[in-house]
Amino acid sequence: MKKRVLSVLLGVAMVSSLVVGCGSSSSDSSSDDAAAEETEESGDGYKIIVVPKMTNLAWFERMEYGVDQVKDAYAEKGITVEYGGSAEGDGQAEYVEGLIGQGYDAICVVPFDVEALDPILKKAQDEGIKVICHEASTVENMDYDVEAFDTREYGAHLMEKLAELTGGEGEYIQTVGALTSVSHVEEAEGGKTYADENCPGLKMATDLIISDDNADTAYSKVKEALTANPNINAIQCAAMSETPGAARAVKELGLSGKVHIAGTSLVSVCGEYVEDGTVELMSFWDPALAGQAMIELAIATLDGTAAEDIALTTPGYEELTLDGKVFTGSAWIDVDASNVNDEAYDF
Amino acid sequence: MKQNNKMKEILTSNQMIIVYIIVALSCAIGMKNPAFADFSTIITLSRALLVTLIFAICEMVVIISGGIDVSFPAVACAALYIPVVVMKEHDMNSALLAFVMAAGIGLIVGIINGFLIAVLKLPPLIATLGVSSIVSGMVLTFFGTNEISRMPKAIKGLGEVFLFTYTNKNDITYSMTVFIIVPIVLCIAVHLILKYTMLGRGIYAIGGDKNAARIAGFNVVRLQFIVYIFSGVFAGIAGMIYCILCSSANPLNLMGSEMMVIAAVVIGGTRITGGHGGVIGTVLGVVLIALIQNNLIMLGVPAYWQTFVVGAVIIVGTAITSLKAKAIANSPKV
Repeated sequence: MKKRVLSVLLGVAMVSSLVVGCGSSSSDSSSDDAAAEETEESGDGYKIIVVPKMTNLAWFERMEYGVDQVKDAYAEKGITVEYGGSAEGDGQAEYVEGLIGQGYDAICVVPFDVEALDPILKKAQDEGIKVICHEASTVENMDYDVEAFDTREYGAHLMEKLAELTGGEGEYIQTVGALTSVSHVEEAEGGKTYADENCPGLKMATDLIISDDNADTAYSKVKEALTANPNINAIQCAAMSETPGAARAVKELGLSGKVHIAGTSLVSVCGEYVEDGTVELMSFWDPALAGQAMIELAIATLDGTAAEDIALTTPGYEELTLDGKVFTGSAWIDVDASNVNDEAYDF
Repeated sequence: MKQNNKMKEILTSNQMIIVYIIVALSCAIGMKNPAFADFSTIITLSRALLVTLIFAICEMVVIISGGIDVSFPAVACAALYIPVVVMKEHDMNSALLAFVMAAGIGLIVGIINGFLIAVLKLPPLIATLGVSSIVSGMVLTFFGTNEISRMPKAIKGLGEVFLFTYTNKNDITYSMTVFIIVPIVLCIAVHLILKYTMLGRGIYAIGGDKNAARIAGFNVVRLQFIVYIFSGVFAGIAGMIYCILCSSANPLNLMGSEMMVIAAVVIGGTRITGGHGGVIGTVLGVVLIALIQNNLIMLGVPAYWQTFVVGAVIIVGTAITSLKAKAIANSPKV
């Protein structure tokens, strides 16, 4: 403990002496200059942190992996990139508040509780820190938000595949984690809109099926729906756990091949059903890439180059559309039997 | 005359009222959707209520003994998650080992619950609530939160062992899982123990009045230990079964299931204050709740209304039970 205090003090002393030495006039970036010192020639020296909703979730472990991958490349350019957050989401606001005044130039955050976080982000902005969000287009106090894709378009994308598999004939059901889960409901609506506009023969069989984000509930309810209505031949799943649940129901009822499934999931969760063909399209977006896109956007914002026609280098974010403060990419990754064993997707 | 009275008593008993509700509901569903009136419904329903029934039997025994156990979802989550994580890490592949570990975890938590409640005399609700939080927190901290879908082969294989299969007219195959045997055996065993052994009588006795039971010669501490250990062990086993049936291990999925289980037990005529209740009522309570939860899509109830309907049935079912209890309490004593 003592050692840690000592090292922190030493660090502070070093940094402050640097500030004095450089005669920097900027008020908010003491360690900014420390970073700048590492690579004097680039002059960038930004210090950026990525804060996930919570750290103890596989999804955000993957985001950390993404940040780690680009860390060294940025360090060579003199840009410090860090990753950190509270283990459980409810400590996020305090965590971010603690970051203010530590010399960060930009905070990239995936908000857990927008209402709690927003006032703190305002504080950060008042200190001159740039704020980049992800999965949070409703945050007020931010510079930009970057979304992997438009959820309605994504839903339409899944339904397009189902339409192709069913030949545009039959009945479909859609599952969502909860009716309060905005992205899930939008996804389902996107799918329905696509079906209504493009496939007059493909009808919605029942109301949205609610799974509580639980694979077993999805299994039971899909099974019930399939029993109640033998005309159902397509299932669109919004939540990660629903796709394997629906797949198990279809497989167990001996309906593989007759009932088609397209949904959101991860290879580690649903891979086996993609391999055996029960799930014919599985899509997701890669949190690692989302993390990298946030960092890229943060740098662009600091450089003052973030604008409507910006193109990032992160895959899926090369073409962005800007609406208000929200950048939207098309970063979904499609997995089917042909590429399910690709190691790049194994998470 | 006496026989008539007895007949009347049976026909208006709690259990029969639940049976009436179940029959009426089944008719309604069957009329709305003919697919319900098929043998497949029994298979689907058995599969849907299997795990809940094991939980409910455990909970019933605890409630009869005058306690309550809200830690069983956490126990089940720990008991399904830890063995799978450990087995994957050490490349082990044995279903027996998985069940032994699951039961072992349940045993440990049961002993802790028993100690807190029987020895330290903590209120059961608070004790098991605390234990639930500790167990769940430990699992998430030390074993992770990832849902595991690539299960050890032996465990996965068990999920595909069926007693028999049935193919309906639409060419849909329904398979009865072999695990249905577990709740059936458990129900029969618990019924016999409660009705015909000194142990069973003791559980009713301490639920009715602990002091009277002690004076009558029952070892209250020992009985409470037995009750919570039983609940823990079978919650663990139920967790493992759930995991096998899902063919995935999720450390959080079962959390929050306690209220529905307690509701099923209470609808089945077990008094929340202890001392009264039985296996048959609990089975009926579980069947009723499973019937509602699993057939609202068939009935065409919109998604928004499903939760409402489940709640309404719980209230009505429980109201009937407690009104009956009140009537008995007010009736002239001999």
